[in-house]
Amino acid sequence: MAAVVGPRNCFADPAELLTYECDGLTHGRTRPDLVVLPGSTEEVAEVVRLARAAGRPIVPRGSGTGLSGGARPVPGSVVLGLSRMRRILEVNLPDAWVRVEPGVINLDVTRAVSGAGYYYAPDPSSQSICSIGGNVAENSGGAHCLKYGFTVNHVLGARVVLEDGSVVDLGGPALDAPGLDLLAVLVGSEGMLGIVTEVTLRLLRRPEATRTFFATFPSTDEAGEAVSRIIAAGILPAAIEMMDRLAIVAAKAATGLDWPDVGAALLMDADGPLAEVEHTSERAVDIARQAGALELRLPRDEAERQLMWKGRKSAFAAVGRISPNYLVEDGVIPRSRIAPVLREIEAMGQDHGLRVANVFHAGDGNLHPLVLYDVREKGQEERAEHLGGEILRMCVRYGGSITGEHGVGAEKAAYMREMFCEEDLETMRFVRAAFDPDGAMNPGKVFPSTPLCGEKPDRGGPHPAERAGLAERW
Amino acid sequence: MRERAGTESDAILGVVPGLVLEPGTAEEAATALSRCARDRLTVGFVGGGTELGLGHAPSELDAVVHTGGLARVIEYAPSDQVVMAEAGVTLAALQGVLAPQGQWLALDPPWPDRATLGGIVATNAFGPRRTRFGSARDLILGVSFVRADGTAAKAGGKVVKNVAGFDVSRLMVGALGTLGLLSSVTFRVHPRPEAAATVLFPAADAAQVTALVAAARAAQLEPSSAAALAVSDRFDLGVRFEGFSSGVSGQVERLLAAGRTTGLAGGRLADAEAASFWARHDAAREILPLRLKVSAPASRFPEVARAVLPPLLGELSPGAAAWYPSLGLGYVGGRPAGGAQASAAVVAARAAAAGMGGSVVVCEAPPELRAGVDVWGPPPPGFALMQRLKNRLDPDRRMNRGRFVGGL
Repeated sequence: MAAVVGPRNCFADPAELLTYECDGLTHGRTRPDLVVLPGSTEEVAEVVRLARAAGRPIVPRGSGTGLSGGARPVPGSVVLGLSRMRRILEVNLPDAWVRVEPGVINLDVTRAVSGAGYYYAPDPSSQSICSIGGNVAENSGGAHCLKYGFTVNHVLGARVVLEDGSVVDLGGPALDAPGLDLLAVLVGSEGMLGIVTEVTLRLLRRPEATRTFFATFPSTDEAGEAVSRIIAAGILPAAIEMMDRLAIVAAKAATGLDWPDVGAALLMDADGPLAEVEHTSERAVDIARQAGALELRLPRDEAERQLMWKGRKSAFAAVGRISPNYLVEDGVIPRSRIAPVLREIEAMGQDHGLRVANVFHAGDGNLHPLVLYDVREKGQEERAEHLGGEILRMCVRYGGSITGEHGVGAEKAAYMREMFCEEDLETMRFVRAAFDPDGAMNPGKVFPSTPLCGEKPDRGGPHPAERAGLAERW
Repeated sequence: MRERAGTESDAILGVVPGLVLEPGTAEEAATALSRCARDRLTVGFVGGGTELGLGHAPSELDAVVHTGGLARVIEYAPSDQVVMAEAGVTLAALQGVLAPQGQWLALDPPWPDRATLGGIVATNAFGPRRTRFGSARDLILGVSFVRADGTAAKAGGKVVKNVAGFDVSRLMVGALGTLGLLSSVTFRVHPRPEAAATVLFPAADAAQVTALVAAARAAQLEPSSAAALAVSDRFDLGVRFEGFSSGVSGQVERLLAAGRTTGLAGGRLADAEAASFWARHDAAREILPLRLKVSAPASRFPEVARAVLPPLLGELSPGAAAWYPSLGLGYVGGRPAGGAQASAAVVAARAAAAGMGGSVVVCEAPPELRAGVDVWGPPPPGFALMQRLKNRLDPDRRMNRGRFVGGL
């Protein structure tokens, strides 16, 4: 492989392999045998052929910011890192798309076109370090997918290296190519169907105006009610985020923001044409007041707006200031059920003797409960893991999902049966087998390995990049 | 489950099935496919029958499953803006259930009174509001389906955000029933807008249409629909805004200003005029007996209007074309004068579209024209993978045999 990618881009030294033992989910670690960093589609294809010939599983990897262990190696595997492939290949503003290599950082797509007034919509919180290839694998979302959708809604085409080293182009700038929509199932397939080496992304024109408000409430009941009423009024906010008391405390501690000590807060963005946005944001503010808002703050300028969002975005990492350890859950519930679900989470936390902070995408019901624990206290970590699992099961009981944006990965494979029956999983396995009959691409993810729920889900602490202040998770 | 012998009226593109099965529940739908599996029957699926002309004639068709009996709305949560309905529910019937709550499914394909949800998903049918809301692919949250062996399965979920497992729901969109029989579909729905306005720019040429759409985007406007209807070698461009009334009025003014900077005089239509413009659009979409779908990058519309549409329209009398300039998609249709010339025109149009990275699909055509042209065009680059997927999910190739791309 060194002959294919050059000796510097192929290594097996244990010290160098260390970084690749896990992704953003740092708890479970497995050392790969080899890490290869190809620089082109041809090199990816050749590396895949060589690894397959040697009978080695292949684990594709972008920036390694995933939170579900989707890029965790398996024993004996070759990690195929796409970080060297980071060229923006073509920008086409008349048709509003850009063609990039998979290692390009999410935010760099927007940076490349922002001068012309365009942007790339999906905005996972790790967008300053996560890669487009990883976004495609996980069908990444973000705060603004309530209005703008997920990665799958913004990928027009992809060049894909399959398990046999062959290369296929799916989709393209023209819509509705005849045939099965393989691209639709490739996005979000967690690196198990193929490796994207080029991606064509849809760009959006920046909205004319954005209006933001921050509202505080006595409790999550009133805040949840406000969210329901805003949506029921026919308003489609660009983003509507909720924080509970504990999350607010943590965010204040981390940022020094002068937020009051309240039971809950909402942060909402409305964007679009000015006349429309002014109307919807005024109406949303009225609704929030009627729903029991204590205080409403409208940012005076963009700097103040950014500060409000910084408070929201830092809430995850900030939880580290009020607890030695925490685990991040990612479940979805019907958005009208936020208040009862949060009450239930609180009660479950009390039963487990643990605190739970909530900071999440309220508009689409995507919860991110942060279960706080101290690994030094005997039994706490296990209780935290148990509580996390109970929360996911409750999400399913409410008609929701075990993951809204972090993916199943290695972490939640054991929970797939909570949502899907054997026939559903079998269909997914047929899809997998059509693309990768030997299961060589990123094995050990998504599918529960045994018929019985005996697997132990994996958890994590802060990612190295997070500790270094490079990223936040939410 | 009702079953009966097939008749001429059950034919799919002239092929009459021996047996017609009419399940009334999802369980019966599974039973129907189990029976087809047991007796090794090739089987086709029919919803409202609005897009039965799409694809090749079935190479074999022992049985047809009608989904009309699957007509229940299973679950509707207005406050969650999510609806789950059986596949045989018509679009109009669903909209009737959503309307009292001030909501709708933001899909507006032709023949809403007959088109079923399952059929809309299977054929990826869409209308002008795709401009703003996307297609079924963007609105679908989950599906229940029956596999070729009679196994009932599901994918996705009923919340607006969900990445658990492979996205089999989206894979079903546009798959023409080759991977499974859809028994129910879950969609995200949207609030019905309180106001709407259409601006008409009459008799624009293709370059002006393209320039105006670009100017609207530059002005950060968000129309819900944009459609250019061919009038000889020009186009009547209608742009519709929907939302809160202040936003709609503001955007109309901005669009008119953008039109002036591109040298196009437009005007806001009165409600009756707007209705008649969109009725003209619908007529262009529903025209028979020949109907083609054209795809090309949006910025290449002037080339489409020069090299793709004229050879086709030249063979059609009457003929009509509706182009969605911000999507780069459109439809051409009408009555061909002669089969051979029309086939040649399709081949020429397809070559021109392919040169731009686009495609031409024959959605409906008289038999004499089908003989001279492959309705789907050449198999796409991922065809070998599509075959492998088909082989896994329907190894005997019994579902809609031969109808899809490359005889899939």
